[in-house]
Amino acid sequence: MTSEAATPTALSIDEDTVLAQIAATLRELPDAGLEDAEISRETLFHDDLELESIDLVTLAGLLREQYGERVNLALFIADLELDEIIALTVGRLADYVTASLRATEEN
Amino acid sequence: MSRFLLVAPPLTGHINPLVAVAAELTARGHQVEWCGYADRIRDAAGPTAVVHECALPEAGELLRPPTLTGPAAFRFLWEAFFIPLAEAMAPAVASAVHAFRPDAAVTDQHAVAGALVCERLGVPYLTSASTSAELIDPLADLPKVAAWLTGRLDALREAIGDPAATHDPRFSPYGVLAFTGRELLGDAAALPWERVHLVGPAIADRPGDPDFPWDALDPSRELVFVSLGTANTDAGARFLHEAAGALELLADRVQGVVADPGGQLTDPPPGILVRPYVPQLELLGRARAVVSHGGHNTVCEALWHGLPLVVAPIRDDQPIVARQVAEAGAGIRVRFGRVDAPKLAEALRTVLDDTGGHRTAAAAIGRSLRVAGGRQAAADHLEQLVTAHPAAAAGR
Repeated sequence: MTSEAATPTALSIDEDTVLAQIAATLRELPDAGLEDAEISRETLFHDDLELESIDLVTLAGLLREQYGERVNLALFIADLELDEIIALTVGRLADYVTASLRATEEN
Repeated sequence: MSRFLLVAPPLTGHINPLVAVAAELTARGHQVEWCGYADRIRDAAGPTAVVHECALPEAGELLRPPTLTGPAAFRFLWEAFFIPLAEAMAPAVASAVHAFRPDAAVTDQHAVAGALVCERLGVPYLTSASTSAELIDPLADLPKVAAWLTGRLDALREAIGDPAATHDPRFSPYGVLAFTGRELLGDAAALPWERVHLVGPAIADRPGDPDFPWDALDPSRELVFVSLGTANTDAGARFLHEAAGALELLADRVQGVVADPGGQLTDPPPGILVRPYVPQLELLGRARAVVSHGGHNTVCEALWHGLPLVVAPIRDDQPIVARQVAEAGAGIRVRFGRVDAPKLAEALRTVLDDTGGHRTAAAAIGRSLRVAGGRQAAADHLEQLVTAHPAAAAGR
């Protein structure tokens, strides 16, 4: 999932666009109160957005609706250690989504 | 007559259901002794409770900075509190078993020393689950986090339990007394139902408050009770101020009573009653809605009274309890750290509006909690446990 793996074709998937899409999805999370939240790559999922682990599961469902089977965030979350979940940033989620989209585009 | 040992951590919400069970067992002629922390237990159970005193872990009682929430709070809770607590409590649990020779024990789900020492010494025990959150396998989507916790519990078992045992010490193989209800758990729970007993809340008589100014309550307005429980006093300042603001916005139709044990509301708007301690059950009997952090006991007591809730979970099991309330249709979840007075007022308006169905759903859950049996059902299960294992005390 590193950028070195990206081919010219894969570059058509723009990291900034993915980040913006995820930020928009987070702002629309039901009852999360994030309508006006500033969301950047460095934004911490838990400490900055005050979202809970169960919100990650909700987000996984929403991203699946948005991107289809190509993006399986639940699988990504299931592979995280406790310390990684504590330190999870929106950027890391965006990287995973971008990499997933590129991987399917290459195939 | 049987002897029952109750093992509890120094957390009020975990002690309270056991106080009711202890009273029921005593009323039936059984002998009850506690293992835990006498100050906390006697505050709730009265001055005559017999307590085998445990040492506190080096770090003392559970103190967390207000900002510690989410998975970081989870890590802290286990690594820095529940595990050291179990190590600190284990010697006293063992000596209580040797001195009191209980026929059976009830061990709080998070005072893990109770379960592990009982398994080592062969005492049959039921788990006391004071929250619905552990029953739904909350770490199912986070297998590496679940493995992290299992690793720590395994190490603890090596030190103070029976290393040959393999079950999760938070769920006794003899059975679980869960002080909650099926309607709150929802359909998500896949439980070993034959040994998980959903007995509903076990509510003990609590000391009243002779000084509470009942005359100050205005019968022409709807009473809304606001409480963040006993364990979050320093985390609540911002939220309580927003809550006071919301109550002020609704002042024409709502009167707020705010429990503020930490003295955070220094300058409350007029017409709102702010008290460090409140006669919660009596207030709930008069209230129309509750604003809560999602502590399981307060939530169940509100539902018991058929009251809809606005739930603002802070951490731990509270987000799960809040979601259960919302999914059961009995309330609205708001974000503790983000909600402001206008949004909180809007949520309150919604649950107070009976056409929205929140009160109907809360009342239905309340009825089911009332028939779940509570303290009597819990005592029945404990008596059956002793009947099924009659010789347990003989070998010790």
